Amino acid sequence: MGTASTLSRPQWPHGPSRPQQTTAPLPERVRRLNQPNVSECRRRSSIQRDPVEAAPPSRCSRLDAGLALDAAMFTCHRIKFTVPPFHRSTVPPSSSPVPPFHRSTVPPLSSTAYLYAMPPRVANIDQELADSLAAIVGRRRVLFRPSELLTYSSDGLPSYHKQPGLAVFPGTRDEVIAIVCELARRRVPFVPRGAGTGLSGGALADGVVLIGLNRLSRILSVDAENGLAIVEPGVVNVALSRAVAAAGLHYAPDPSSQAACTIGGNVAENAGGPHCLKYGVTTNHVVALTVVLPDGEVVSLGNSDGEHEGYDLVGAFVGSEGCFGIALDITVRLSRNPEAVRTLLADFMSIDEAARAVSAIVATGIIPAALEMIDQATIRAVESSIYAAGYPTDAAAALLIEVDGAAAGLEHDVATIEALCKNGGARTVRIARDETERARLWQGRKKAFGAMGRVSSHLVVQDAVVPRTRLPDVLAEIHDIAQRHRLRVCNVFHAGDGNLHPNIAYDASDADETARVHVAMKEIMTACVKAGGTITGEHGVGLDKLPYMELIFSSDSLAAMCALREVFDPDRRANPDKVVPVHSCREWHAAPAARRAAATV
Amino acid sequence: MTTIAVDSVAALCDRVREAADRHAPLRVVGRGTWLDAGRPVSASESVSTRELAGITQYVPGDLTLTARAGTTLDEIRQATAEHDQWLALDPHGGDQGTLGATIATASAGPLSSSFGTPRDLTLGVEFVTGDGVAVRGGGRVVKNVAGFDLTRLLTGSWGTLGVITEATVRLHARPEADESIMINLGDEAGVGRTRELLRQLPFSPYACEIINAPLAKRVLGVDGVVALIRLGGNKDAVAAQRAAFAALGAVTDIDGNVWPRLRTTEGAGTVVFRLSARPSEIARVWSAASAAASEFPGTLVSAMPARGIVRCIAPGAALDAFRIWWARPQQSLTRIGERLSPELWATCDSPTADRISSGIKRTFDPQGVLNPGIFGERS
Repeated sequence: MGTASTLSRPQWPHGPSRPQQTTAPLPERVRRLNQPNVSECRRRSSIQRDPVEAAPPSRCSRLDAGLALDAAMFTCHRIKFTVPPFHRSTVPPSSSPVPPFHRSTVPPLSSTAYLYAMPPRVANIDQELADSLAAIVGRRRVLFRPSELLTYSSDGLPSYHKQPGLAVFPGTRDEVIAIVCELARRRVPFVPRGAGTGLSGGALADGVVLIGLNRLSRILSVDAENGLAIVEPGVVNVALSRAVAAAGLHYAPDPSSQAACTIGGNVAENAGGPHCLKYGVTTNHVVALTVVLPDGEVVSLGNSDGEHEGYDLVGAFVGSEGCFGIALDITVRLSRNPEAVRTLLADFMSIDEAARAVSAIVATGIIPAALEMIDQATIRAVESSIYAAGYPTDAAAALLIEVDGAAAGLEHDVATIEALCKNGGARTVRIARDETERARLWQGRKKAFGAMGRVSSHLVVQDAVVPRTRLPDVLAEIHDIAQRHRLRVCNVFHAGDGNLHPNIAYDASDADETARVHVAMKEIMTACVKAGGTITGEHGVGLDKLPYMELIFSSDSLAAMCALREVFDPDRRANPDKVVPVHSCREWHAAPAARRAAATV
Repeated sequence: MTTIAVDSVAALCDRVREAADRHAPLRVVGRGTWLDAGRPVSASESVSTRELAGITQYVPGDLTLTARAGTTLDEIRQATAEHDQWLALDPHGGDQGTLGATIATASAGPLSSSFGTPRDLTLGVEFVTGDGVAVRGGGRVVKNVAGFDLTRLLTGSWGTLGVITEATVRLHARPEADESIMINLGDEAGVGRTRELLRQLPFSPYACEIINAPLAKRVLGVDGVVALIRLGGNKDAVAAQRAAFAALGAVTDIDGNVWPRLRTTEGAGTVVFRLSARPSEIARVWSAASAAASEFPGTLVSAMPARGIVRCIAPGAALDAFRIWWARPQQSLTRIGERLSPELWATCDSPTADRISSGIKRTFDPQGVLNPGIFGERS
């Protein structure tokens, strides 16, 4: 099991050497919380029960089979890394004996002492809370021992590790609501978590309660005629596409972790993916949501039966990184499978030429389904791995370009793109002859992060966006930064929309190299912002990008975001200390006079 | 009503701040081309962004454009056309309206069936809150998840959360071929047939509107229920698209000017509203709209099958009788008013009465000075 290797080979590269032992005091606002009545919360939850909650057994069976396969694939893909395995595999099965709750007495091991240390717990996360949550979900669905909680101390970005004080795994929406009500009653902060594949540290719970949602994995209904599906938050991204494939539909947002990540997590992060260039990111595909707010109230956002009038609360919720509440069900838009798909691989002897070809293609009016760039370092990592895709290893960069849609006219687009690439300096342009070759080309791209495990033991996966025309300059600057700090940067990214993923491979046991990584990452982020870009295009802010928020937003803009958050969660108990720097979250309502005074100075 | 047109963000901050201090509600306007839309606003003073105009950043290779709120859609159309690009927003009312107002009202026209609405095309906004503070959400790049999505929140908020001062929008390159065709569907049965064909086609036309006989007479000079279709792409693709639509009936080429005519048909004093449901129910939505049209001769009806929306423009002279129709149950359809009489607006529920929406309003406009009443909210 993946957990075992994680425990024996801790590789957290740069986070605190051990969790702080102090108990974080609750903020004043939390103590002032008006405690909602649990029975009232439960009454509301039963009223809000979705009539289509029960999915057909046959669909569920197929889905489960698919999930098992995905889980196996993902574990294999991640084998070189320290990654959080799915809690799916660590939640005790229902047939196992019921473990009593008690604090662990496991003696610390010398090399991993900090991993077994008690995590910092909020004062009111205690045996009593564990018992009350167990009364909702059953004892086996509540993890309280530090050793059990290790699994959840990182997400897909193992640079950070924060251990939850307790983890609970509801299986139904009513259990989620009851848990949230109980936490509200006890004024306990919580962090919602999907599959834990996020790349910003956003799903880490630092001593607070973690609510794992991927047991809520049912596709509740599919309206093929209108291209809509209602899903629970724990449905795995690719499982939805598989489930609707027979109807000629798919779910378009396709993050590289799509074999493992959940729709609920995608909603929280407003996830993207290679094909979002043409089809849009998650927010363009979410029509409506049922949400349990942090105080336990259940609300419906959006309208799947016509136009929506009023504030775009769905738009506000998508990308809120778990700070606005928990989605209980999500109505998503499904896209029609294209009649035809053509995939091209163009290789260039210069990154600059490849970047200019990207702009030339987009300027024609053709919107490729995907337009990805893979640099030489990445190509070599991929080609020396089990994901070898046949990329030319002597090329400075390759563009993976896909066009899709109606068959009529598609060859015209392919010919146009081929000519643009060749005129732009491409050495060769290869067109996938069949689906097998296409799948192989894509595998190399989608598994590139995994393949980088061959480069070094650790990897920082970064995410920034620059205006497309600035790609050549910014890539050159990233190269300079890497040279200056003697680091290996691999670039594999969504070039069509300027969404960079500069990844730095390094050895975390080398303190000097780790320090240089930190400095280089900051310089790369600053360069992207200076070029008119932003600090994250699809991974979210989480913990990782918090220090950079002030590079792109004024204090007033950050304070406005805090104020918006407080409408959904006045006590800031949902995913605390993420997205917006705490010091920016001054009291919005109390401060207009101060803001005015400052503005008039 | 006193209107002050501000020419800088600082001046706007001062103006709003001063109004907030006096608890004096403000009517927020762009160029004032659509002031009779939305519920009546209870304000005796007005602030306009028409002088806050001009494109501030346009790099054609990035396919993004940043402009001040008072910039008209026509100015943006002209600037982008020079580079064979366009902003694919065509709200009803024409191109003399401002970018800020289009985003604030989330107004969309026929192109939205393919390109989406302002919510899909707006990348970032700068706005001044109800207590006079300039805030920015989103950015100038096509992909951005940094921070909470203030851009989507402001889009369609009708000026009630902040006065938009600047926006960045996504552009598209103009296609090699952009052709418009019409198919005379004969009668209403063609609505369902059109929807079914659209569902089966391997492409989405740029626009597809079905218009009733009075509207067809007005914009095309023909009789009968007509499908207006806009095709775009390379020449091979457009030729194939055109052939595919022949399944609906004889295809006739029409001038692209039909689209601006369609967007500017409503006259002053008319009653304008939209009915909607899931796209598969477009025939039922059309029937409901047609029932109204039969009671009020001269009502212009247009349907967007891809989005399940039917838009009706009823003559204002029929207002008394219209009140009775309006009060009838709407067969589970979503009904949204665009331009109604105060009495009709009074019968509509506020879409922002829920706890979250009203909380957001109080947060961004604590004194309630921005367009109070436009969402029917209680003061």
